[in-house]
Order: sequence, then structure tokens, then C-alpha cells
Amino acid sequence: MTAEPGVQELRELVAEFEPGRGHIMPALHKVQDTYGYITRTAIEVVARQLNTTPALIYGTVSFYSDFRTHPPAETEVAWCCGPACRVMGGDRIREALQQEFELPLNGQTPDHRIGLHIGQCNGTCSEAPQVWVNGEVVGNLTVTKAIRLARELKAGE
Amino acid sequence: MNARLEALISSAKQSWASEQASGRVRINVTLDTSSQAKGAATVIEKLQAAVAAKKLVADVGITGSWGFCWMEPCVTVRTAAGTQTVLYGNVTPERVDELIEKVAAGQDMPELALGVVEGNPTADIPLLSDHPFMQGQVRRLMANLGITDPENIDHYLAHGGYEGFGKSLELDAEAIVKEVLDSGLGGRAGGGFPAGRKWDFLRTATTSPRYLVCNADEGDPGAWVNRVLMEGDPHLIVEGMLIAALAGHADAGYIYIRYEYPLAFARMQKAVEQAYAKGLLGKDILGSGKDFEIVVFLGAGSYVCGEETGLINSIDSYRGMPRIKPPFPAQAGLWNKPTNVNNVESYANAPMIMRNGAHWWSSVSDAKEKGTKMFTFSGSVNWAGCVEIPFGPTIGEVIDRWCGGMRPGLELKGFQPGGPLSGIATANRDLTLTLDPYRELGMFLGGGGIVFFDQHTCTVDLCSYFLGFCEDESCGRCTTCHGGTQRAVEILRRIQAGGGRDVDFQNFQNLVTTLVWSNCFHGQFAMTTVKTAVKAFEDEWREHIFDKRCRAGVCQGLIDYRVRAPGDPALVEAADVCPTGAIVPDRSGYTIDDPRCIRCGACKEIAPNAIEVADRFAVSVAEGAAAGG
Repeated sequence: MTAEPGVQELRELVAEFEPGRGHIMPALHKVQDTYGYITRTAIEVVARQLNTTPALIYGTVSFYSDFRTHPPAETEVAWCCGPACRVMGGDRIREALQQEFELPLNGQTPDHRIGLHIGQCNGTCSEAPQVWVNGEVVGNLTVTKAIRLARELKAGE
Repeated sequence: MNARLEALISSAKQSWASEQASGRVRINVTLDTSSQAKGAATVIEKLQAAVAAKKLVADVGITGSWGFCWMEPCVTVRTAAGTQTVLYGNVTPERVDELIEKVAAGQDMPELALGVVEGNPTADIPLLSDHPFMQGQVRRLMANLGITDPENIDHYLAHGGYEGFGKSLELDAEAIVKEVLDSGLGGRAGGGFPAGRKWDFLRTATTSPRYLVCNADEGDPGAWVNRVLMEGDPHLIVEGMLIAALAGHADAGYIYIRYEYPLAFARMQKAVEQAYAKGLLGKDILGSGKDFEIVVFLGAGSYVCGEETGLINSIDSYRGMPRIKPPFPAQAGLWNKPTNVNNVESYANAPMIMRNGAHWWSSVSDAKEKGTKMFTFSGSVNWAGCVEIPFGPTIGEVIDRWCGGMRPGLELKGFQPGGPLSGIATANRDLTLTLDPYRELGMFLGGGGIVFFDQHTCTVDLCSYFLGFCEDESCGRCTTCHGGTQRAVEILRRIQAGGGRDVDFQNFQNLVTTLVWSNCFHGQFAMTTVKTAVKAFEDEWREHIFDKRCRAGVCQGLIDYRVRAPGDPALVEAADVCPTGAIVPDRSGYTIDDPRCIRCGACKEIAPNAIEVADRFAVSVAEGAAAGG
């Protein structure tokens, strides 16, 4: 894993953002897009840049489900919790995936290889029930297909 | 019209005309989130390679969605002479070479064809307008979808784009507001509040700067109409906001897009950049002396940011917690300045209202709700797609016409009319797609995402999902909401686990009556699903609570998976797949070790004849009491 970015590097990264102009979210997105997550140091640097406190920045980060304060896993599996998936048996897929990965939702394996999350519906409902593997839709699942997919991912295929 | 705009439009029309008359075959692929899920990016690469390999005189381009989301990837092929364009569906990467073979041979491919878009129908391919999915649709917002490249501003300009803005430039603010008021355009996120009145609040505000916000946070799961529009014709929204800016003397606008829509974000950003480059945004727009800026803003995963004041806080403050109203955004919105918030579809209607007039726009149907509305349909139906229709058809017509009927073996049990706060309706096929009938039932027709469900869906489980969603997404301000939804989830899960009590109806009533005190819609409407489902599906709920029985076979604590044919050879594979090793050998073959079973149902998929779902409690409480008494 690469070393966390230092203060100077982070300051340069967020130098374009200004206080009072709606720049908090864009600054946090830029940090996460660059490093994959938002580090403790980044929270302090963004706070200073925007003339506010780390507590308020952390409050913002923790409010939104798509800001991460830890590195993502190598393979991120997002389970779609949407209603069309639910109607097509999606919740049983969640049960099976959690069991296969031995993970709760929003958990990560200790070796950081696999992460499991809740994914929100983005309207590819013709593929229901579905999951995303590193952002790619794997759709028209059955529980059996989901279990096999999980086993392949665990085996590193 | 503004001379500079006229010049932009005429040069765009020329370049469109020369593209059309290029004498080259034109192959367009729908490139949006739905088609990407089916490999559209690979289809484009393969098409380009195949065109090159065949030395075909052809161009490969992209368009927005036709609405045939279940048939993606969709591809149109226009002949070199430009006399015929055919729409094909299900053009997966594997079918590309075959399609190009046919195109190179000057043939079409009836087995994938959805219809002829332009030109005469053939013996095998009817007109697209005769496709049942297209019949009854009135495509105004979606007019360019499937036709133009959403990343090309000239395509938009060549199809009447920015003409509505051009007309508006010649009017004063009051006249624009009047036109929009006369049209009867109501808010498209479900509220139906007249857009013209909102714009007038901004026009008559006494302070500045003034802001516009476009709510593109479409957070209702099962709704993707705004995504289709932003990905398919992003300039409609830019132009709509420009018109609203003239009407309300606005200085800047924010388009707030949810994090789950990266392609819509990219397309909107590109459209805004192109508009700046053409002088349609920025200082002294087209020499008119008017200024207007647009910022495209990306959310980060929060449902309550779809509430207008939550959205405003998300931009100008820290956490996206809805504010206490009043003051309303019209008085104190972004940075406490007058702000007008509209949905994507509301803004997108403005260009054609200004271009063609309020009367033209509103005369599309007799319904009280004027104009057309985009809807997405999904769930237990054959076709999950996106349509644009006038208000008014019945649910029965919707299912038969635009959803291709229910999936085989499934019967309509009910539907969700628009988001997790909207309620759960019964299988009433006569309900119309208008606002009033839902209001009368204590529900509402939301932003356009309708999800149908069947006899295998349990309404207790569905409510458990919706309340779980509401709990997760509560901002935490009001105890009634964050505590109330938490309590509701506990009760629902207890019922699903077999611990229902007769006092639970009273518990729900208590929650229904207290959550309405919450500050924003989220808390106020969080119990709508439970309230409406308990009433509409009372028998099912009583069975859960009193008989410990789930008729749909969904609720985990009320069902067992059992082996009824222990010698079935399919059980070998089922035992292998079972994620908990619950299918164990015994003397007669296999049995299920119940404490290990998580009721995921994988075994039943593999060995449908050997496994059955049974009521966990063989004798219902009611029957037991009757027998004993």
C-alpha cells in the first residue's frame, strides 16, 4: 500500500478551494478521487484551507455514505438494495453474499481483498437483481449465481 | 431573435445536414448507464473494429436512451443513402460482427430489429412507432433521445435547441413567468406546485444575488427519469435554467447531481462547458447584457439531500440536513439568498413552453396535470423501461402497454407509486396516473419511478426494506424521525422473525401519528408505506402477527426450507452451493440442518423438485385456538 499523502502534498491538492463558496464537497471529492479515501491529515488540511474546524469537516464526511475514511478493498462488491432487486429476491442474495464473504454490509475482509457495501439504485433495473463488482454491473443474478460469483472472487479469479 | 444565437443555430443546422447527407452509413449506439450495464462501451469498440475490418464507409456515434432499457444495448443503423434508419435491440458485443456483416451486405437484421425509425417499413420490420412500447407515448422531452449525440451541442442547436431561450431573451421577466404560469407546468418531483409561481417568488425577491438550484438528486430507488434526461439531452436542462434565470433575475445556478450518476454528472459538466464556450453562459450572454453562471455539483450519497433545504445545506454548508422552514428557499436559500429549486424535468420543460407556447404545451391531454411526464417502470413486469406520456392512463394500461405485461406466472399484487415515502398501493388496475387518486389514498405519485410487485413479494418485508432505508437516510435532526424509523424497523423485523404482537398495530399507529411532526418530508412520510400497506393488505399483516405465517414465503422467521425428495440427485449440487453447509447427508439422502439454514433459497433454485418452502408453524394460532376451544 502506498504511503499516506503528507501535509504539503494535500495543501497543494486543495489549494484552489476557498471558504464560503460551496467548496467543501468538491474538496473532499478531489481528495477521495486522488487517494481513494479521505485521510485524517486530509480532514485537517481541508479544514484549514476552508477556514473551519476538522470536527465540522469530519461531520460532513461521516454524513455521506460515499465518502470513505479507509482505503477501499481490492475488489469492492456493492449489493443493490433497490426495490426492483428486492422484488426479484435481492435480499436473499444479500444473505448469501454476507455468509460467503463472512462480512457484514460495509465490511472488509482482514486482508483488504474484498469489501461488501450497500449500493443504491441507479436505474439499471432491467438487470435486477444485481450487484456491482468494482463498479461494473453483474446482473440478472440468482442466489446460486451470486454464491458462485462470491467464491470466484474469494479464490481470486 | 438574437443575431449571435441565430448564427449558432444556422451553423449547427448546416453541420447536421451535411452529416445526414454524408453518403456514409451511420451507426449510433445508445450510451447511457443502462446500456453500459450491458456492455455498450465494448459494443462501440467492436463496432469500430468491425467497420474498419470490413472497410465499411461508416461512422459510429452515440445517442441517449430510447427508453428501451431492457433491450440495451440499442443501436440504430442509417443507410448510406440516408433513406432508412432501423433501431436494433439487444445488440450485445457477441452480435456485433453479425450485424456488421449484414450492414456491409446492404441487408437488415430482423431478429434484432425493434422497428424502422425513418423510412418505409419492410416485410420483416414494422415502423418503430407501431411498436407497442412506443404507442401512446408523446415524446417531447425525449424527442432527441436516440437521435442526437448528447455530447454535441450542435446536435441540440440543430433540433430547436436554445430557441426557447432566444425567444425568452426578447421578453421581460414577467412575460416569461406568465407563459410558464399559463402552461400549468407543475413541479415534476411529485408535489405539482406551479413552477411559474415559484419563478415569480424569485422575480419579486428584494435582495440579490439570487440563485437557481436544479434538483438532480433523484434518490428514489426505482426512478431513473432524470438520469435518462441528463444523460440523453443535457442541454435541455441548461437551457431551462437559462430561461428561469431570465424570469427570476438569477445570477447563478447549481445543478446538484447524486453520486450514483457519474455519467449524468460528466454529461452535464460537458454541456455546461460547451454552453460557456458558445457564449450561452457567463458574462454578457450573446451580447445581451445578461450574466448567468452554472456550477455542476456532485453529491456524495445521501437521500435527504433530495429535500430542497437538505440539498441547499449540502452545497453551502456542512452536513446535508434539511433546514427548518420557514424561511423557505425563495426567501433564504443558498447563502441565505433568494433561491428557486426545481426538479430536472421541471426545468427541462421550459424550453419547449417558450418555443411553442403555453397553449401548445398544455393541450397534449385533458388531464388536470398539464404536459407530459416521464416514468420508469420496473419490478415484476416484462419490460423495465422509460416512457414519456401525458398524465392519465390507468395502471392496467401501463402494465399492458408499456411494461409488456407481468412476467410469466406472476400476478400483480401491488405497486409503489414513487419512492420509499410514497406508500404501497394494491393491485388496482383502474387507478390513473394523475396526482389526486394517490392523495386520496394517503399516498403520492412521486418523481416517476413506479415499481410493480407480485404474489411472491411480502408487503411486511417490503415495508421492512423501506423503513430500513428511511432509518439509514434519516439526517438525525428529529427524534420522531431517527428514533421513530429505528423503532419501526425493530418492530417490523420482530414481526418477520415470528415475534409479532397484537399491540404492534397500536405501535404503528403511534409512529404514524408522531412522525408527521418531523421537520421535513423524510420523517413526515417515512411511515406512509406501513400505514398504507397495513390498510390495503390487512389480512397479510394479521397473518404475520397472529398466525405467524407469511403467505408469500419471504419472512425468514416464519418459513422453513424442507427436503421433500431426499433422494433427488440435484441435492448433491445444492449441498455444494449452500453457503452454510446446511444441506447434510442422512440415511435417506439429504436433509436440511435447520439451525444452519439462512433461507437464501439457493438450494431451491438448484433442486426445485426436492426443496419446498413451508410454513414454520404448521398450525396457525387461530386454528390452534379454535381446535382447543
